[in-house]
Amino acid sequence: MKHILDGTLVSIHEALVRQDITPLELTQEALRRAKANDDNAFELLLEADALAFAQTLTTPEPANLLWGIPYALKDNFSTKGIETTAGSDILKGYVPLYDAAVVERLQHAKAILIGKTTLDELAMGGTGMTGHKGVQTNPYDPTHTRQIGGSSSGSAVAVSAGIVPFALGSDTGDSVRKPASYAGLVGFKPTWGRISRYGLFPFAPSLDHVAYFTRSVEDAEILLSVLAGQDQRDATTLTTVFEPSKTLPTSPRLAVLKPVLDSIKNPTILKAFETSIEGLKHAGFTLDVVDFPLTLLQAIYPTYMTISCAEATSNNANLDGIKFGPGYEGKTYQDVMMQARTNGFSELIKRRFVIGSFVLMRENQDVLFLRAQKVRHQIVNALQTIYQTYDGIYLPAAPTVAPLFKNSSDRLSHEYLIADSHLALGNFAGLPSMTIPLGFEGSLPFGVNLMTRAFEDDRCLAMGKTIESVIGLRNLIAPLGAST
Amino acid sequence: MNFEAVIGLEIHVEMQTRSKMFSRAPVTYKALPNSAVVPLDLAHPGTMPVVNEQAVINAIHVCSALHLTIDKTLHFDRKNYFYADLPKGFQITQHRRPIGSEGYLDIPLASGTHRVRIERLHIEEDTAMQHHFGEMSLVDYNRAGIPLMEIVTYPDFQTGEQAASFVETIRQIVSFTRVSSGRLEEGSLRCDVNISVRPIGEKAFGTKVEIKNLNSIANVQRAIEFEMLRQERLLLSGQRVQQETRRFDETKRETILMRVKTDAVDYKYFPEPNLVPIELSEAFIEQAIASRLELASHKRERYLTIFGLSEYDAGLLTKDVDIASYFDRCAALGNSYKLYANWILQDTMSVLNKTQASIVDFPIQPERLVALVALIESGDVSNKQAKELFEKLQTSDAQPRALAESLSMLQISDPVLIQKEIDAILAANPQSIVDFKEGKDRAVGFLIGQMMKKTGGKLNPGLTNKLLLETLKRQ
Repeated sequence: MKHILDGTLVSIHEALVRQDITPLELTQEALRRAKANDDNAFELLLEADALAFAQTLTTPEPANLLWGIPYALKDNFSTKGIETTAGSDILKGYVPLYDAAVVERLQHAKAILIGKTTLDELAMGGTGMTGHKGVQTNPYDPTHTRQIGGSSSGSAVAVSAGIVPFALGSDTGDSVRKPASYAGLVGFKPTWGRISRYGLFPFAPSLDHVAYFTRSVEDAEILLSVLAGQDQRDATTLTTVFEPSKTLPTSPRLAVLKPVLDSIKNPTILKAFETSIEGLKHAGFTLDVVDFPLTLLQAIYPTYMTISCAEATSNNANLDGIKFGPGYEGKTYQDVMMQARTNGFSELIKRRFVIGSFVLMRENQDVLFLRAQKVRHQIVNALQTIYQTYDGIYLPAAPTVAPLFKNSSDRLSHEYLIADSHLALGNFAGLPSMTIPLGFEGSLPFGVNLMTRAFEDDRCLAMGKTIESVIGLRNLIAPLGAST
Repeated sequence: MNFEAVIGLEIHVEMQTRSKMFSRAPVTYKALPNSAVVPLDLAHPGTMPVVNEQAVINAIHVCSALHLTIDKTLHFDRKNYFYADLPKGFQITQHRRPIGSEGYLDIPLASGTHRVRIERLHIEEDTAMQHHFGEMSLVDYNRAGIPLMEIVTYPDFQTGEQAASFVETIRQIVSFTRVSSGRLEEGSLRCDVNISVRPIGEKAFGTKVEIKNLNSIANVQRAIEFEMLRQERLLLSGQRVQQETRRFDETKRETILMRVKTDAVDYKYFPEPNLVPIELSEAFIEQAIASRLELASHKRERYLTIFGLSEYDAGLLTKDVDIASYFDRCAALGNSYKLYANWILQDTMSVLNKTQASIVDFPIQPERLVALVALIESGDVSNKQAKELFEKLQTSDAQPRALAESLSMLQISDPVLIQKEIDAILAANPQSIVDFKEGKDRAVGFLIGQMMKKTGGKLNPGLTNKLLLETLKRQ
């Protein structure tokens, strides 16, 4: 029999309001599942705090859909009084002094934080293999040989394994939307600036987004209503107010980018994608396969690496062992910094910092960093051209199902360059972008992605609901996760 | 061989805003170490910069005083380097697009006015303060993030006198606009000098030396004069000037090598991604310019032409913004401008110089000084009594008139009242009239003495004397 916790936000909320279950019982069940799960989803379970808070929630709030709902949070959001390491030894023992804006909002809505989830170190990575707590595995694979994807790996596990109905992550290239594809989840990032990043440990601020996993598009919409809004502490937040759209845009037009589709070889994914297109056409959508400059698509990966590493090396310069984090002895401040940063970061992170410093060097800026910025502009302009005619871009979210760990090398195939990178288009242009479950290959899920015009988060969600109902995959929970 | 110096200045001005450049922490100079900080000032992960609007307005104030072209879009960049006093590992500054560019400032010199071209003015943030104790260093983050503006001139100076006059004029601008306390000795105004020398007639620049840590305007001049000689001597003895950074040692009065500059540091500038460019509306800029407080030079002009003060007095009053503003408040309450100036520049300043206090905290504020001057002007108190009142007012809250009354100081200056006393005393001493007519001047002294005795010395002596003489002559 399905547990109330297996439902969507609305069904769980209704059960709470009917008092079929209490927040405490719900939290106890979430914690039980978290402990039973063996995919390494949590940096830290906040059992005592969560239970204590749940206990205080005795009067249901019918108008507040998040009242008493347990959730999980990627460990790169600042939580006051709760150790936050972003998956890196450089922040071991670091206890933040303040709550991130999204944590405040969820606290205000009386959602219950049950734990901080694992991630690729400092959110830099896409495999769930590089955090200091080791590898995260995919709940859909009982043999533990496949990735869940990253960098928001623990949050993806927590939702797909049925531990919580939603979990927050961050998305700089595709760090929520890619794992959502491997985990059978809805992964949504709204327009850049829609949700305050205040308190999100930065990777590359011009590309960073607060994003999250849910098990339905409706849940994604409910969450955005709570999380969206201007914040005086994040100067990049939008001043406009988000309101869910009541209606679908009339006869929506979607573009399928031909070169991206051409680079996908997996027949199961292609077939499911074709089927969904047929379904959408029946539902009144217009879908066209349109061209897009191949060179720009091939440039996504190097452009992304150049910009993100440059910003990352600067953002993480604050981690120097002087103000917080593990302290090291040293005769000079250089000694202290050298030791903290040598011991604190993994080789992969150092490699990114070296790349970031290299592209910013005076003699390289023009040919590397500034050129990447120009390419980014060109990509954004090319997208604008598409959006003059189309309401959205519709593509498979990833070229494969969750990869095997042993296959996760830095391969540079055509497929890898384009079909595995195209979600970053949404980060370059700060667009609303949502991954929705599309199908299964064997027991493994894969997803489709919708990317719409900037600021049109409402329409993205409205179209997403139709796509979800056309595909018919909603509220998926990994069989193993649910049964433990 | 004769040499000439080529000198440019870089001036950092610490702004006295309520909160810091990008954080909500207060700007204070007296708080306990590390008490005026919020997580952003310590670069805690996830904190984000938010631009302080007042700091932008302040920058526009100074831009307008320096005739700089104001950029209508605010851009910020990161300047990346590691240092113990730099919490984020980068400083937010304006590298590519300073808020102000290409202006000038006319400075007064003994020989006349000299125009200095200004390259740029940009907004940035201060670093933390380090305190070194032998083997140990402590960092105070109260200063980290305080708004700064940096003013960069073209190399338009040839002498220390010119540079000193420029710094003094900048000091007046930033203090009179209330943008900064503008104190070199406290570090709220910091001046770095770039200086090279070359033989007169030579077109190419010599090797540039930077001088830092100049904590007074006099030292700016001294350091430049010393450095010019040092470089000239090097060149005359066939040696080369090294590209280096030097500091000025106040006791030895010489510049001392700090470090030799090798390749200039690569700060890897790039746009600050957490601050999208901010469009400054025409109205915002106009309002900022219009709300700029009066500059010292304008005040000086006003004191000369409208208040009729001397060049000397007007110059002294406008050396310090607090004194000028004290004077302006007096001038708004009355019109004895010359007397206000005298009382401020002589009596008040002599007290302040002794106590090293600011006129802002002086117990006699303009309302009472103006009231005191009014008592003198009306003849109610003598100058001597006024000095006594001035002393006593410093330790009392009383109004000058009330205090004078309580000290039985108020003179009788009403001619009608005085005439009554004269008539009475003459009626009582007819012999004195006779004596006066016979040329015995002593009679006058006697009569005044009698009247003073009777009134407790309150009669205005000058007026009484005058009226008595007139009365006697009429008899």
